[in-house]
Amino acid sequence: MKKIFGNISKAVATGAIALTAVTSSVQAEETVKVGVLHSLSGTMAISETSLRDILLFTFDEINASGGVLGKMIEPVVADGASDWPVFAEKSEQLLAQDKVSAVFGCWTSVSRKFALPVFEKYNGLLFYPVQYEGEEESPNIIYTAEAVGQQAIPAVDYLLAEGYKKFYLIGTDYVYPQTTNIVLFEYLLSKGIPVENIGGGIRYEGDVAVSAGNYTPFGHTDFQQIVAEIKDFAASGDACVINTINGDANVPFFKEIASSGLTSDDCPIVSFSLSEDEFRGLPTKDLVGHLGCWTYFMSIESEANDTFKANFQKWLATKAPDAVQKEGRVTCSPMVLSYNGVYLWKAAVEKAGTFETSAVIKALEEGISFDGPGGTVTSQENHHVTKTVYIGETLENGQFEILEVMPDVYGEPWLKGTFK
Amino acid sequence: MLLSSAILEARSARVILSDLILAEEETQAALLEELAESGDQVIAEIYEAWRSGGVYTLSDDSGTRLLLFNEAQEWTLVATGEVVSLSEAEASAVEKERASRAVRKLMKSIVDTLGLKSVDERVRIDAALKLGLSQKPEYIEPLKARLETEPSKNVLKSIREALAISLLVNGEGDEVFGAVKELTSMKSIAARGFLEKLIRAEEKAGRLGSEVVAASSNALLVIEEHINMLEFFGSFFRGFSTGSVLLIVSFGLAITFGLMGIINMAHGEFVAIGGYVTFMVQTFFINTWGLSSSAFGWYFVVSLPLSFLVAAGIGLLLEKSIIRFLYRRPLESLLCTWGISMIMQQCFRLIFGAANVQVNNPTWLMGSLNFGGFNMSYTRLFIMFIALVVVIMTWLLLRKTNLGLHIRAVMQNRGMASSLGIPVARVNSMTFALGCGLAALGGSVLSQIGNVGPLMGQAYIVDSFMVVVIGSVGNLLGAGLSAMGIGLVDQLLQPSLGPVMGKITVFFVIILFLQWRPGGLFPSRSRSLDD
Repeated sequence: MKKIFGNISKAVATGAIALTAVTSSVQAEETVKVGVLHSLSGTMAISETSLRDILLFTFDEINASGGVLGKMIEPVVADGASDWPVFAEKSEQLLAQDKVSAVFGCWTSVSRKFALPVFEKYNGLLFYPVQYEGEEESPNIIYTAEAVGQQAIPAVDYLLAEGYKKFYLIGTDYVYPQTTNIVLFEYLLSKGIPVENIGGGIRYEGDVAVSAGNYTPFGHTDFQQIVAEIKDFAASGDACVINTINGDANVPFFKEIASSGLTSDDCPIVSFSLSEDEFRGLPTKDLVGHLGCWTYFMSIESEANDTFKANFQKWLATKAPDAVQKEGRVTCSPMVLSYNGVYLWKAAVEKAGTFETSAVIKALEEGISFDGPGGTVTSQENHHVTKTVYIGETLENGQFEILEVMPDVYGEPWLKGTFK
Repeated sequence: MLLSSAILEARSARVILSDLILAEEETQAALLEELAESGDQVIAEIYEAWRSGGVYTLSDDSGTRLLLFNEAQEWTLVATGEVVSLSEAEASAVEKERASRAVRKLMKSIVDTLGLKSVDERVRIDAALKLGLSQKPEYIEPLKARLETEPSKNVLKSIREALAISLLVNGEGDEVFGAVKELTSMKSIAARGFLEKLIRAEEKAGRLGSEVVAASSNALLVIEEHINMLEFFGSFFRGFSTGSVLLIVSFGLAITFGLMGIINMAHGEFVAIGGYVTFMVQTFFINTWGLSSSAFGWYFVVSLPLSFLVAAGIGLLLEKSIIRFLYRRPLESLLCTWGISMIMQQCFRLIFGAANVQVNNPTWLMGSLNFGGFNMSYTRLFIMFIALVVVIMTWLLLRKTNLGLHIRAVMQNRGMASSLGIPVARVNSMTFALGCGLAALGGSVLSQIGNVGPLMGQAYIVDSFMVVVIGSVGNLLGAGLSAMGIGLVDQLLQPSLGPVMGKITVFFVIILFLQWRPGGLFPSRSRSLDD
């Protein structure tokens, strides 16, 4: 109680100081530091560099319209270098040395797990924007990312409604696919799908089936055996594949699928790690007709999205730093969730009237809405975000045609063991 | 008189389809019904074009025209089928019409029923199976009708299989029993799930001991056995195919490391050069002739020798400028080539960007050969063929040509070869260039099944060294055998252990093997071991 009171009084005090600062000096020279923590080198750089770019764009956009509480945002960019312990070091540097008000960053779950204890130690604030496996709720992290219930579950619902009865689970061998598949396995059973209709190898604990899935190493290149298995599995004509393979291992997988003669009409594959940004380096021809599920697609037709896309392209053409790639840029869900994160933070700071972490988190927990490019998002008490889920079909040009829209899906991280 | 009224009543399938493609979603259902009655073969053709994005609308002053861009690169009117010529301005103003998923689902049954009468045997087989697997009673009649007129044996078999699967649900009494018997004799893999379902249904109905259940259980056993056999042979094929991939990426290393004794850490980057040359040739072909032209298919034929030559050229430069100073210093050559590998990776990033590039397969490599129940994709068969060609050519080069004689002499004893008047420096350059060229050839082939990117080579470098060491450094035949061996062990272990444990087990087996035979399969004396 005392602590809360202390925090509030501190918040009021800083608020008052901030207020006097704004009123006393008309100069807008004052800045607030925020951190950007993404891998700009190493294997993850291909994906994470896009998030740095969109963050820099968002800061410029906010600064152009007057900043946050009258202060200009000053980004401090740190390179996680695709090296997980580096994420912890850089987090410490951002929080203890640079004293940033908030950090936007991390892509892989393992990098987030490394950064988490540092944020809790220094009472920092991290916005995490990439689809993840759930089963986590740190007081110092805001998960703008899609939880399993906002991506995998809606996709399965859609496939069930389409009449598919057999599900083959395949993924890369690490925490996100493994955990997602445990939840999906329980969900499929709860929907009356018998164990023998779930493919990819059932894992037993004692006599009880607990999970399924065929897992491959990172960067796996030889999918012959797996595709042969899928082909047998799909011979009955009512099967689909849930794909949580990460990164460029998807290329040999989809090439093998295409040459085996399985089409998206025979056996659709829904992928959770492939967005518009990844399609820039994939032969989309082999992916046409297969499905994706995200909380944003570049092809959404709305005024907010059109403005967002146009502003981003304009920024790329005029204001972007030299290091940012200018040509052929697209927008995708992790980028928009980063963008939303910054605006949610801005709204929370303005609501709290201070940059002080605990006050900002409290404002976010009370629920703040932002009309983003993918529809309205609302922060929840459990540090996740309610948002609209879209299911789309891949086109030749690397875009998605939207097949289904599920508005206002609640973000629930604790799903393991809830489906009976 | 009668004839004309018939025409008036039933509109041509082309007109209906043309309406359907342009119709709003609500009216499409009625048009689909009308279409189903017409039964014209042309439906399948237009539908396929529509589905794959070959149907366009052109709106101008005279109204909206629906056009199809066919394989012969001509524009035809969907409603009449006549060929029209478009001006360049018109051709660039057309807009693609896409079939929505919902319509595609509805169209599928129409197209599948039509497919039974297609001229293409494969289409008929596919159509029959799809109709049967849907187990809808309305398809039994068309299937039975086709049974009477079908000329091809293969298609007849599929129709009987389809009918039997459909009758498992729709048949009565003896029909079901007969269907089970039929499926047993066919060893139908597709029927597996349906037979299991049948047994469960019978159990629920309390007829556990019935004849049908016993027959079905027996059928399942027979089919399971058949699948196991196919799996076994399939694993062999896949093992050879994996082995061929290993062989084709490591053969270059078998020459640079194996014969010459250079620990060439940049080998993977030469593989990547092959991938990038293929990408550049492909881009050139697309820009010159277009992706859908028939000329495009030839890009791969051009890129294979070209990637060999480009990489051999770069290899030659590298040998002349750096490698030749390192022949007697293995440790320095390890560090130096590692540095070269990083420089080359960064060059790829600077030139082509950090992201992977897309390489499309030529049409003649798409699809697969179905052989007695298991699939062999054309790309995989092609890789096996290229691997064989590479081995034979290299063998001929080393055994039957003067250069080969010189190479072998220099590799065995450099000093003696030199004193006999063999131009050692030149032979060294040529050998290194050959190794680099072969690496790039492998990269070019790999672009058809995997990624092309700056880190492409890194994915294969460990495998390559593994193959060369197992096969005994300096022995090309050993490299070939060890590649096939590793491929087979990997694929035979995978079904039971999974990809991750499978790979770990393969490495473990290799460690044990090297404990047993440290020199590899064929230990031999070569310069690299003498030093």
